[in-house]
Amino acid sequence: MANFFLDFRIALRSLFQHRRRTIFLVSAIALVTGLLVLLNALSTGVSETMIRAATTLSSGHVNVGGFFKVTSSQCGPVVTEYEKVVKVVEQSVPEMAHWVHRGRGWAKVISDSGSTQVGVTGIDITNEPDFKRVVSIVSGNIDDLTQPNTMLIFESQVERLKVKVGDAVTLSAQTNRGAANTVDCRIVAIAKDMGLMSKFGTFVPVETTRTLYQLRPDTTGAIQLYLKPRYVADASAIAARLRTTLEHAGYRVMDPDANPFWMKFQTVNREDWTGQKLDVTTWEDEVSFLTWTLKVLSVLKLVLLTILIAIVVTGIMNTMWIAIRERTREIGTLRAIGMQRWGVLRMFLFESFQMGIIGTVAGAVGGSIVAALVNLAEIKVPLGVQLFLMSDQLHLAVHVPSLVSAATMITVITTLAALYPAYRAARLPPVSAMSHFG
Amino acid sequence: MSSIRISLTATALLAALAFPNAAHALTKPELVEFLKAVDARQKNNGDWRSMIYMEQKEKGKVDVAYEALVFRRSEDQKFIILFTQPKASQGQGYLRIDKNLWFYDPSVGKWERRTERERIGGTNSRRSDFDESRLAEEYDPEDNGEVKLGNYTAQVMTLKGKPNIDLAFPTIKLWVDKETKNILKREEYALSGRLLRTSFYSKWKKIYSESKKGDTWYPGEMRFYDEVEKANSTLIVIKNVDTKALEANLFTKAWLESKSR
Repeated sequence: MANFFLDFRIALRSLFQHRRRTIFLVSAIALVTGLLVLLNALSTGVSETMIRAATTLSSGHVNVGGFFKVTSSQCGPVVTEYEKVVKVVEQSVPEMAHWVHRGRGWAKVISDSGSTQVGVTGIDITNEPDFKRVVSIVSGNIDDLTQPNTMLIFESQVERLKVKVGDAVTLSAQTNRGAANTVDCRIVAIAKDMGLMSKFGTFVPVETTRTLYQLRPDTTGAIQLYLKPRYVADASAIAARLRTTLEHAGYRVMDPDANPFWMKFQTVNREDWTGQKLDVTTWEDEVSFLTWTLKVLSVLKLVLLTILIAIVVTGIMNTMWIAIRERTREIGTLRAIGMQRWGVLRMFLFESFQMGIIGTVAGAVGGSIVAALVNLAEIKVPLGVQLFLMSDQLHLAVHVPSLVSAATMITVITTLAALYPAYRAARLPPVSAMSHFG
Repeated sequence: MSSIRISLTATALLAALAFPNAAHALTKPELVEFLKAVDARQKNNGDWRSMIYMEQKEKGKVDVAYEALVFRRSEDQKFIILFTQPKASQGQGYLRIDKNLWFYDPSVGKWERRTERERIGGTNSRRSDFDESRLAEEYDPEDNGEVKLGNYTAQVMTLKGKPNIDLAFPTIKLWVDKETKNILKREEYALSGRLLRTSFYSKWKKIYSESKKGDTWYPGEMRFYDEVEKANSTLIVIKNVDTKALEANLFTKAWLESKSR
């Protein structure tokens, strides 16, 4: 054990003796670690923003939606007698923290100055505290959505419709039986944009969706299930279980299809059935048209990381080779006074490990500070990027486990990079090493 | 005596002002017969081929124009719209068979089932605007009296959709020329009661139909005005009408697909 600490101290002294080289290598390791931390922060930030936006605007962690077909060619995103479905859900999903139900539809919003096609979500604002917490209101009062025929829109829609709080707009749509219908709504709140989904989403009281689509009071568009935080990652498994439970309870359930409900109209229209079918989805299914950004980020992260690690590994191995060449006589002397081969190997590994630790800690701290500064600066991103980041500003999320794993991984890699040079150093015969001139 | 005459005249005047069309009010059966006559005048009882020109004007958008061929068969209510212009839409088409409306797009080579009340080519026209008139089958009429519409004396009636029939417009208000029974103006309302579309039928034409053994009337020009988005309008011109018998196998998916090969 004494030898162990002795080797550790020798390695540390050696690092201080070769200060310039050490600073260079530690800086390189810190830079790579910092970049890894920032890449992780970006990918986690995008993912978190996406989950937050998706589970606020259009989805729960798990959803029970569905289609009702009056005839084989006419379908509507409707769940009939939804309270009975909720009872089955409550018994089947103990992981659920709470549920809400929302109306679903697609309509044209027409103002005096413009019009736009939007998704219309019916919401019971009194039962949606999370929605009120996450959606940032820039004008008006979100609580006014308790009044009939009111509407919440997003900033980007304001530009298209040229309206303000208090203005009236007309919602025009076809009922599920194909009859034209309209509802006049008053804009009561304008919310800050939340990426792509807010470009095409509006919120009205759930009663307004029922009036517009001529639905009975016991119908809704979807039941959105919010899971307890520790079960969010299990959403797919919970959805699969719920599908089976609903089938056993006598409901017709659609086959799993990892797409949002509005992409399923054509498929459902082509099928020859009438009546109700339920569709169980996860939040990832409902934003599947956007999650490719996460996949691209992951691939990008992997490529960048591979290149950076290759550079660091090459750098460390080269530096170690130089160090061994410079210190061949020192190795010979240490071996002559009794240091075992294992001791030499350990000494060089310690050097590399110490550089790794110092570099990764510095990199992790530096990366975290940069991420915090970026978040503080509230950097606005261009519109094109907003659509996929689902936010109008860059958000980097740094979490301690991710920092620890980045630092550990880089430290292990830098230590292992020194393994072969250290092994070669340990294999040097003491006599020839002592007589080495280099 | 004169005072009695004056009061009688005043009463008659007041009655005329209060009930301007009282003298011309039609009973329910008369109205239904009137509506049947409107339909019958446009019925062909056979095959139909025509070319249509559609022009859509929308606020803030470039005007869109289409040319298409319309084929229909009265016997089994089959119907085809085949787009011929512009080039980007060539080969696209709607096919109505077995009371289902299908849309075919040759660029994707897929058939999609569409609702019967689909806006044709994204314009403000519907399938029913090009099909045989079935107002008496689909609606119950209510009398709204007579009015003067330019040089025409028009019978005004409100049509309410019959129960269990799916209609794009549940309520229609119709102005029909009393003399010819041609439709002059039509207003279509949403379930909410809001006026959605006003149509004007400015030119009525006729063609002799062998299958009907008589004249079939059709609107040579229709103008649809969007009443919700006030700046939007659609012009439809129907020309080159032919009532000769069509090929037996024309109303098939294969035929429509073959037109884009």
